[in-house]
Amino acid sequence: MMRTLLDTYQLTLRALRESARQPALEIGNVFIPMFFFAVTVGAIGNVAGRAFGVDNYTGFQLPVAVLQAVAGASGTAGLGTVTDIERGYFDKLMLTPAPRISLVLGRLCADGVRVMALTILITVVGLIAGSGMKTGPLGVVVLVTMGGVFGLAYSGLGLALALKTGSAQAAQLGFLIFFPLVFLSPAFAPKQVFAPWLQFLATINPVTYIVEGMRALVLDGWDAGSLAGAFGSIAGLGIFTLTLVLLALRSRTA
Amino acid sequence: MGVGTRPLRKPQRRPRLRTAGRRVDLPHRDGIRGARTIEAIAAHGLVKHFNGDVRAVDGIDLSVAEGEIFAFLGANGSGKTTTVRMLTTLLRPTAGSAAVAGFDVLRRASAVRRRIGVALQEAGLDDLQTGRELLSLQARLYEVPAREVAARATHLLRVVDLEDAADRRIKTYSGGMRRRLDLAAALVHRPGVVFLDEPTTGLDPISREAIWRYVGELNRGEGVTFFLTTQYLEEADRLAHNVAIMDRGRIVAEGSPEELKSAIGTDVVTLRIEGGSDELARAEQAVRRFDGVEDVRAVDDAVIVYVREGSAAIARLVLLLDEASLRAREVTLARPTLDDVFLQRTGHHLDAEDRTIEGPAARGQADGTRP
Repeated sequence: MMRTLLDTYQLTLRALRESARQPALEIGNVFIPMFFFAVTVGAIGNVAGRAFGVDNYTGFQLPVAVLQAVAGASGTAGLGTVTDIERGYFDKLMLTPAPRISLVLGRLCADGVRVMALTILITVVGLIAGSGMKTGPLGVVVLVTMGGVFGLAYSGLGLALALKTGSAQAAQLGFLIFFPLVFLSPAFAPKQVFAPWLQFLATINPVTYIVEGMRALVLDGWDAGSLAGAFGSIAGLGIFTLTLVLLALRSRTA
Repeated sequence: MGVGTRPLRKPQRRPRLRTAGRRVDLPHRDGIRGARTIEAIAAHGLVKHFNGDVRAVDGIDLSVAEGEIFAFLGANGSGKTTTVRMLTTLLRPTAGSAAVAGFDVLRRASAVRRRIGVALQEAGLDDLQTGRELLSLQARLYEVPAREVAARATHLLRVVDLEDAADRRIKTYSGGMRRRLDLAAALVHRPGVVFLDEPTTGLDPISREAIWRYVGELNRGEGVTFFLTTQYLEEADRLAHNVAIMDRGRIVAEGSPEELKSAIGTDVVTLRIEGGSDELARAEQAVRRFDGVEDVRAVDDAVIVYVREGSAAIARLVLLLDEASLRAREVTLARPTLDDVFLQRTGHHLDAEDRTIEGPAARGQADGTRP
């Protein structure tokens, strides 16, 4: 166990160092969520109260910006792994006695850390724009943690595809899959105003519970049910993607 | 040794074993009753099929003693790299078993990895790290004590002559520098067994000599066992204590370089025949009438004759050609090389560009059986 933690730590540092040396790749991860945050609030914010009873639309959109940051940043684990595979460095890592799970957790944890950094940035911008934070500083900590853990869990999808296919295009499918999940959630309006078919899809969409959990921290206060739903969805997603990752990793030595 | 193999065991260079700080010369395998050689690598019936019908490795038996430099010689696609990947736990065998450093590669894979160093055919490096960072990370993943990591990295960078480039990113390194760094990464944890998959392919002669020198020094000085694959005959001839020739997934010959060369006859007479394929075929038939001939191959525009006492045989061979109204425009006499061994065992030259030149005798070697 200690070996797994130590090696995961070293490989996380390596992945973060890699990101720091490619700052241009982070520009999109910062710009896209900020852009959509600003545009969405600007376009709908003034009518959100009348249209569906949301007075603080800035706060309403803050979690969506965080989720968009997750979508962008969570492809790095997969793309970085594809690069390692193409260069032969992944084999070199596989040849070490490091536990196999460390090889993948290192990448996933690095993505989690990057998402947490983005979440902090988005939250600061959101606070400046007037989103407020009903749960105070501790709520910010929980929000950042939730974003980071969700980023770690979601990155597993791109990583699994990268390990299975060795293809950069396949590794980026996680980003494409994410957008339907966001739009099928109460990202832009409360679930109550959805058409019945959309309400149903939103109800079975795990991203819905993550959005609502984050939104509760910003707008409503401490809500155990919402937080449990959010962390439960993240945990379920994490178990699913990590299973895919380990199966894909095993297939590389078949 | 494997099934169907007649061991070729004249006295070899003695493998050495470091025991409690002393070097101990191990006895030879043959000639000493009860002698045992410690195996660094052993494989029995090793098989690897891909997609059900691609038989990349088709039954390998091998034994490599501690302290030995063992070379796998074969053309592209002969199965060398696949064998290395199975022995180093990167691939699961379809059948058979193997043990490296005393541990089964399937059941104790982690223990194997802890004890081996590997430099694969492609120098697998991370371009965004510096040489020092890469070696430091390798050292940590190999559980080198934290207080020794920096010193170990610095030492290895000095050994492979990369001290000046240590803090530059690897993407700025030349091919030779990358290969040397890859070798250093394979040695960072002082393994007892090192696998080198075509370590000098694509390198300039100076870099190649440097790699050979490091390998020789480590083998002689530290008793490190090396298992290397190569397409270069000179590399196998100069470095290896024992050589296995691989063709189409099977070992077709094995022994020390001297044993392999001696086994095919003492001399090689090459007769370049004037004319076309008809003349070549007639020339091959003509020289077969010479009593001292051990083997004959027709390759390109030449008939290659393996004889004892080649200097005495040349005149008779030329006479046989003359009697058949044929002329040799060039006649050369040489001692057999590993290329001659390769040609005899596989029916084609070992050519780095994978150009296969087959002679009529190649068809008789299609079953790939060992001598």
